[in-house]
Amino acid sequence: MSLAIAGMGWVTPLGNGVDAVWERLLRGDEASATPISEQFAERSYSAFRVPESALTGLAHPRLRRASVISRFAATAGLDALQAAGVKVNSQNAGRIALIFAISNGGVIYTKRFYRDVVETGAQSASPLLFPETVFNAPASHLAAILGVTGITYTVVGDGAVGLLAIKMAEDVMMDKSLDYCLVVGTEEVDWLLCDAYRRWRLLRSAPPIEPFGKQKRGMILSEGAGAIVLAREGRITIERAHPGGCYGKRAEAEEILKRILRDLSQVEIDFVMSSANGTFIDQAELGALEQVIPGAVTYAAKPALGESVGASGLWQVMLGAQALRHGELPPVLHASPAISLRLARSRMAVTGARRAIILSSGVNQQGAGLRLALH
Amino acid sequence: MAQLGSTTGKKNGERVAVVAAGVVSPLGFGLAETLNSLRRANDCVTDVTRFSVAECRCKTAGQVPDDRLLAGPNKKLRAKRLHRASHMMIHALREAVMQVPQFEPELTIIGTTSGGMSYGEQYYRSLCRSGNLRHAPTWIANYPAQKPVIDAQEEVLGVSAPCQVIANACASGTNAIGHAFECVRSGRYQRVLTGGYDALSELVFTGFDSLQASTPEKCRPFDRHRAGMVLGEGSAILALENLELARKQGAPVLAEIVGYGISTDNFHITQPDPSGVGPRQAMERALQSAQISADEVDYINAHGTATIFNDAAEGKAISQLFNGVPVSSTKSMMGHSLGAAGAIEAVISLLALRHQFLPPNINFEALDESLDLNVVANESRSAAVRTAISNSFGFGGTNASILIRRVEA
Repeated sequence: MSLAIAGMGWVTPLGNGVDAVWERLLRGDEASATPISEQFAERSYSAFRVPESALTGLAHPRLRRASVISRFAATAGLDALQAAGVKVNSQNAGRIALIFAISNGGVIYTKRFYRDVVETGAQSASPLLFPETVFNAPASHLAAILGVTGITYTVVGDGAVGLLAIKMAEDVMMDKSLDYCLVVGTEEVDWLLCDAYRRWRLLRSAPPIEPFGKQKRGMILSEGAGAIVLAREGRITIERAHPGGCYGKRAEAEEILKRILRDLSQVEIDFVMSSANGTFIDQAELGALEQVIPGAVTYAAKPALGESVGASGLWQVMLGAQALRHGELPPVLHASPAISLRLARSRMAVTGARRAIILSSGVNQQGAGLRLALH
Repeated sequence: MAQLGSTTGKKNGERVAVVAAGVVSPLGFGLAETLNSLRRANDCVTDVTRFSVAECRCKTAGQVPDDRLLAGPNKKLRAKRLHRASHMMIHALREAVMQVPQFEPELTIIGTTSGGMSYGEQYYRSLCRSGNLRHAPTWIANYPAQKPVIDAQEEVLGVSAPCQVIANACASGTNAIGHAFECVRSGRYQRVLTGGYDALSELVFTGFDSLQASTPEKCRPFDRHRAGMVLGEGSAILALENLELARKQGAPVLAEIVGYGISTDNFHITQPDPSGVGPRQAMERALQSAQISADEVDYINAHGTATIFNDAAEGKAISQLFNGVPVSSTKSMMGHSLGAAGAIEAVISLLALRHQFLPPNINFEALDESLDLNVVANESRSAAVRTAISNSFGFGGTNASILIRRVEA
């Protein structure tokens, strides 16, 4: 069974709107990094943040107290449904499934809630903040806004979780009573996340992200959301979604990615959307690509958009769909000339491209992939 | 009472067998200890020892003892660094795999709500108190929700199947089993591991306390004097396999999962719609999915958190759908283990089917006057149990029910 992409919505540090962000990427734009600090710590970090103006059009009582992660998701989800021409009403609300991909979740409110507990004691714990710390809070807000009454799942994982959510959507849509599945990936940035990834030696303190570099200097976190409406028919399809795999040690990541690539590259592939983010996963992807589909044209968006973890897989799929639709790839930023992969180093035509692999390797032991086709 | 005929149900696909199960909870380690606790109606809720609860209203929880949990025969030194949640998953998976050593899952679907939250707490406390952050990389690496799943697969199976981790609040475990059931029923997968886990954490404990959802008293589901929930922890695993294939290969068939229902009621982020429409839809959809009528259900393992709102909504939905079917909430014995609850309660339902008894709803004095339920009060009792329904409902208005049926030899 293959599902089609019927609509997409995008909230990124480069702005909102699929075509607007796409144009900026084609021009070679890079999101602006902003400093991010914390009152009890001297160290500050850089992150790619979504501009506040991106959320001004969204007002709903359910989002009054919600964290930005829920606002990103609602904005992207509603845009995707509008692009697909889907109006949710009481007649079709049961025929639409909602699947969320999240990695770190509502970390801003989680930190605020626990800070009160640590600094002032349990009696200061806020009953208003606590529900927003739950992983499925963003999904429940969007479900309530839309009136979705059936399947609502939140899937958690690492940077591969977006593709795992799409795989789950494929399984869910085996139920023929469903017309659509809205898949949303979303994430918000906080100093605490930056510090955690830094201590884990995966984050660098300031841009750029240098994809596929041997130095593995690290990533820069970003935030936002991506949303895709999956339907039964359409011009661009998820032709094959691999169930993914898990690696025990970092050195084993390449083997998982090779397995995924072998499965997805049994037909001719025109380009690959890589998840390279400046960490150890880049070498795993590079090794897998060179061995399984040497010479494949490869694009990596994270140097321009940052590592949005739970949202990143959805962003990659959206980029793949845009590249197939428009027949060109944006330039890969900050890549060393010494890298052996066939990277889109400047805006590159892929005219007539029919198939793309989306490869996603997370830093917390998960890998996933899928193949898009243009019909 | 609802009559749900086959015309309203989905088309049936492949039949789905439970070929193995494993469990760790305050009721005990493994199926045998759990069965014993259920039969004896043990109250396994104790004073919280893992963190200070001095400022909380609630002081108790169902807890898995560390002396046994961490003493397992884990093969590798790295096991010392693993989160307690990983140890729980390892114990549960090990028990399941001992029953079907050749089981190779194509996919693993697990429910949780908070992953390795207590490691996140240690990290944050150390940060803001300028404490020792030497172990920070270990805490951070073992914090993600998928980590206990991957750890358990590696430790017990030696390989790691692709995993999907569902975090649908307190419905997570039942959602995971339900989705796994659908995956096998559709014919897309032959063997799927499923279940749920959650380990007690200060943040979550304090959160429920702040909502005044947890009680300083005993947990009394459906009782007129109920005053709230107590938290718990644990893990449970079920190995699902295409029933025909399982029989061909001589695998044990412990039970059959026959239906799954899910609904979203959108009423409020922490409270159910008081009409009971969410739970009712989930149970109705499970019956439709199984193409059976409510008359065929012999036992209901209720979500039954003992909060005013949950039990009122669930109780109303049960009495609308079922006519005097025995109901119990086993959370009264072990607390509410959140993402693990649905999985542990599925295992409890499975034990009820296999050993022909009704698990008890303890601490029960008198039924809430507004409810019309046949509560299995305080003691387990023998009964003919062929089909059981297990409910889980969570924050965000997410509701899930699964139907499990006894398989005759």
